[in-house]
Amino acid sequence: MTTLLGWLAGLGLVAGLVMGFGVAPREVTQGNVQRIMYLHVPAVWVAYLTFTVGFAASIAYLAGRRPGADRLAHAACEVGTVFLGVNIATGAIWGKPTWGTWWTWDARLTSVAVVFVMFLAYLLLRGAIEDHERGARYGAVLSIVAALNIPLVHFSVYWWRTLHQPPSLLKPGSSTMPRVILTALLVNFAAQALLGAYFVARRARLLAAEEEALA
Amino acid sequence: MPDNWTFVAAAYALAALVFGGYWLRLGRMQRELAAARTDREAVRDDRASRSQQPSKTGHPRPEPASRPPLQP
Repeated sequence: MTTLLGWLAGLGLVAGLVMGFGVAPREVTQGNVQRIMYLHVPAVWVAYLTFTVGFAASIAYLAGRRPGADRLAHAACEVGTVFLGVNIATGAIWGKPTWGTWWTWDARLTSVAVVFVMFLAYLLLRGAIEDHERGARYGAVLSIVAALNIPLVHFSVYWWRTLHQPPSLLKPGSSTMPRVILTALLVNFAAQALLGAYFVARRARLLAAEEEALA
Repeated sequence: MPDNWTFVAAAYALAALVFGGYWLRLGRMQRELAAARTDREAVRDDRASRSQQPSKTGHPRPEPASRPPLQP
């Protein structure tokens, strides 16, 4: 199953590249630099998804103390941090030619940086505490608190004046995006979601093997 | 607006590096765990085979008469 997910993710990424560079047209206002969107936006959606999985698994762990829930939470939070890192880095690269700066402390960028640092702290915490049960418990609490910040990141563009544009898709009402660009974006999202699922499945299996080795 | 292909290439190269690096890290962890498991199984098999061998009688050290005399 995990191997199949890996192959599907690989095929999806190739299809995403074809859609992003071969099918989607050059954007009128920004030019070809807008093609970074097919990487930047799906990466944050996958990060949101994996953090939501980590949030639910952490609650399940605190409720039932099942090791499988902790492994899923740990794997999902780690993979989400990787995707959020890609989102922040590609956003900075996209920001330089379009905004004239790599980074600015506006509400969207600051709130996403806070979430990223919180999940980095989660990974450090998991690595620092030797008592596995205690690490899992503290980690579950931290991942829940960190995931609760995600709505703040999403709505920051509405609540404060920001340089970052408001969402084009995850908003009430229909999308104003041209169909071909929307399709390319969704194909890239599907590909990155498959990649994220593959990483989470593989990491969770490795965590199970690590626990077995330590037992 | 200029196309800024350098920025596009940098963004995609960075993403490939991060995702590829994470994929390689998972592979390395898997290999290390497999190697550790093989070592553990080898030690366990060695102990099991030793415990099945008959215990040897007699003194394992050389007989006192065969030792060289102590020098004053």
